[in-house]
Amino acid sequence: MKGFGVTVLRAARRFMSSLPALFGVLVFTFLLMRVLPGDPAVFFASGPNAGKEEIEVIRKQMGLDKPVPEQLLLYLYDVGRGNLGRSLMTGQAVTKDLRERLPASLELTLTALLIALVSAVPLGVLAALKPGSFVDHGVRLFCALGVCVPTFVSGLLLIYVFYYLLGLAPDPTGRIDVFTSLPPSRTGFLMIDFLLAGDLDGWWAAFRQLILPAATMALFVIAPLARITRASMLVSLGSDFVRTARSVGLSGWHIVVTYALRNAILPVITIAGIVFSTMLGANVLVEKVYSWPGVASYALDALLSSDYAPVQGFVLLMASVFVVVNLLVDVLYGIADPRVSI
Amino acid sequence: MRSGYCRALSGVVAVLALVLAAQPVRAQSRAETLRYVTGASVNTLDPNVPGSTRESFAVSLSTYDRLVSFGRKQLNGKWVFDLDKINGELAESYDVSPDKLKITFHLRKDAKFQDGTPVTAEDVKWSLDRAVTAPILGKAQLLTGSMTSADQFRVIDPLTFEVTLPKPDKLALPNLATVYPIIINSKVAKANATAEDPWAIAWLKEHTAGSGAYVIESFKPGEQVIMKRNEAWNRGTPEKSAFFKRVIVQSVPEPATRANLVERGDADITVDLQASDVQSLESKGTLKVISTPQYNAVTFISMNNAIPPFDNINVRRAIAYALPYDDMFKAALFGRGTPLFGATWADGKPTTSAYPFPQPVTLDLDKARAFLKAAGMPDGFSTTFSFNVGQASTAEPMAALVKESLARIGIKVDIQKLPDAQMSTQINEKKLPFFTEGIVAWLPSNDYFYRNFYTGDQRWNYSGIKDPELIAIAQAARFEPDKAKYEEDALKLNAIHFAIMPQIPLWQPNQDAVMAPSIEGYTYQFHRQVDYRDLSRK
Repeated sequence: MKGFGVTVLRAARRFMSSLPALFGVLVFTFLLMRVLPGDPAVFFASGPNAGKEEIEVIRKQMGLDKPVPEQLLLYLYDVGRGNLGRSLMTGQAVTKDLRERLPASLELTLTALLIALVSAVPLGVLAALKPGSFVDHGVRLFCALGVCVPTFVSGLLLIYVFYYLLGLAPDPTGRIDVFTSLPPSRTGFLMIDFLLAGDLDGWWAAFRQLILPAATMALFVIAPLARITRASMLVSLGSDFVRTARSVGLSGWHIVVTYALRNAILPVITIAGIVFSTMLGANVLVEKVYSWPGVASYALDALLSSDYAPVQGFVLLMASVFVVVNLLVDVLYGIADPRVSI
Repeated sequence: MRSGYCRALSGVVAVLALVLAAQPVRAQSRAETLRYVTGASVNTLDPNVPGSTRESFAVSLSTYDRLVSFGRKQLNGKWVFDLDKINGELAESYDVSPDKLKITFHLRKDAKFQDGTPVTAEDVKWSLDRAVTAPILGKAQLLTGSMTSADQFRVIDPLTFEVTLPKPDKLALPNLATVYPIIINSKVAKANATAEDPWAIAWLKEHTAGSGAYVIESFKPGEQVIMKRNEAWNRGTPEKSAFFKRVIVQSVPEPATRANLVERGDADITVDLQASDVQSLESKGTLKVISTPQYNAVTFISMNNAIPPFDNINVRRAIAYALPYDDMFKAALFGRGTPLFGATWADGKPTTSAYPFPQPVTLDLDKARAFLKAAGMPDGFSTTFSFNVGQASTAEPMAALVKESLARIGIKVDIQKLPDAQMSTQINEKKLPFFTEGIVAWLPSNDYFYRNFYTGDQRWNYSGIKDPELIAIAQAARFEPDKAKYEEDALKLNAIHFAIMPQIPLWQPNQDAVMAPSIEGYTYQFHRQVDYRDLSRK
């Protein structure tokens, strides 16, 4: 218990020490958005009769009529109060948009990561057990295919086969069938909310909606995870302690899982953490193909229309997520290898 | 044991019965539901909010009524809106005074807002005052119909309302049928107004207070809008409420997915598929495809007339004869549209007073070289050709063909693909030399096009021309009461356009509405969206 308290304290200290970095990200994104060519006011004043006057109104609304340093101070003041500004694109407060969309992205990414880990680790272990064999080459081929097919191609392909041809999957339009009523939102994660509401039909509907996009994303990240598992398994299988274990006649399963895998899992956790952060921000193609209302497609749309507030909010969010995930990875490290402390 | 088995069996039967019973109910409600999928999204419930999207316009047509609406007519066997036929919507009838300076509207006695209160002339006045006074989009639109001040609107009695015009303006009445002049329940709106926001702009963005055919059930900006039918609404042409009980407007960003959804019958209608998908769906023949040329829209290749080398008239002419029109039309649109090139003008004069009109230009490299020589640039020059990312699917193949063809007369073109906001900013600042863009006019009369797209120092004057003669004729034509004289002016404007070639009209792309075979009543509307009130299911 004491160890746990120390871990939390250390984690909190680690988090505090990343605050300056978050602040830097905030200011940098703010300035970057203003340096980019593209005036949001002109873009949004796109009615068939919008003239100079409309452009001025929008500019004023967005606070763009003030000098940049003043804008920055106002923005920082607002962020300090938890207000990330308003999106012109959706007409909503950015915090509200992100709060609604982040659970969608997280749910998708976590499921994808779970699928990826569950398939990548055994694949990597199998490949490492018999290097150069038929299995090893099979895994290599599978990984190569997963990486070289872009997610929007595999996404469209999966939709074509499972929705269009076979009719097994529901229509790929977001998190839930439009005709299904939503559960009361408690966590924002539909899988959990449906369970809390005791609505199993709804849960099943949401699950069916989730599985195809999650599989699409998983296909893309299985490769790095499986390759890293294989490499670090090879190292630990060839190490002295495994040879010792073998010589004392321990069972093969025991050797592979308890001795080799536990020692080989550290790099896999690191990579999984990085993969997770990347997936969360970079799964925009999957979100677009499946009309998934996530944060990445939101940020891309905002960027194309130079809608400053959502892009800044998104970058800040991603930076925070990255900090938290790294922290989590370090904590997991400690569990996998008690010698490591954060 | 036996009884347990029995119970289990009866349980299974009960569940099966429930499932079977539920199926037809769901199927029926599905038939009464219209599911519309789109690549864009709805971002406000009040179309007047600066930045509102076209999808928001379509939703507002169903949630709000206007005083009047456009009728419809057949154009080559397809239903399109009719600018010349103005029907009453909230107005039962209207009279125009003989001097054409006063329009009197007689409101429907039975019209009620969605909260059950009657629609009065006071509400109409408040709504139109809002449209011309508040800092919203309605202001610039109504200006084109000579409506600029609240003093022009007068309540005569609770059911009679009068608009006074400073000059007889043909576009005053049509303007009241456009998207912006919605009639709002002024009591509700005022109750939600604040001192800084007397016109309740912020509140109306997320709430509706109208009398329209549909009531908002749920609104998730950027994702979907679900509306249910207003049973009391009777402003449709046969005097009854709209057909569909529910309308779902859903954003599906990927065009291929939209095509799949409609083909599988999960969605009922969509209007923004890629030309190639439409082509293949049409050839399969299982869906209804209605292609209407967007006769109030044009796609251009524009040249900046203010900067070299395009300030030289002969350079512009050279370009006009060096474009591979047919190839571009096929590559970009798969031929789905109305070409605006290759016309024959027997005596060198325009054959139509309409705008947009086909110009007598074709690919003729010798002619192009001659013009380039006349411009003093026989060896050509270098320039960039820009288009925005949002139009990449049509503009990308087009740009490649432009580059290839212009290279043959010595003009070196770099292709530049710009994010949408960047493109609109640079167009607004008149920084792009050579680019492709489109325009659309809600009220497509000849002078309206020339006044809005060929005059002034504003974004929509893509070519940035300032031709005094053109400006004078267009301004005069606006208030020209005599039809024959107006025609004459319009012909003159078209002749000037061809003579100075400020930009090159290419085509009018088709609006391809792809729908389930059971959907009927689709009409091409001025706002280029689906008006859900038009549709019904066989």
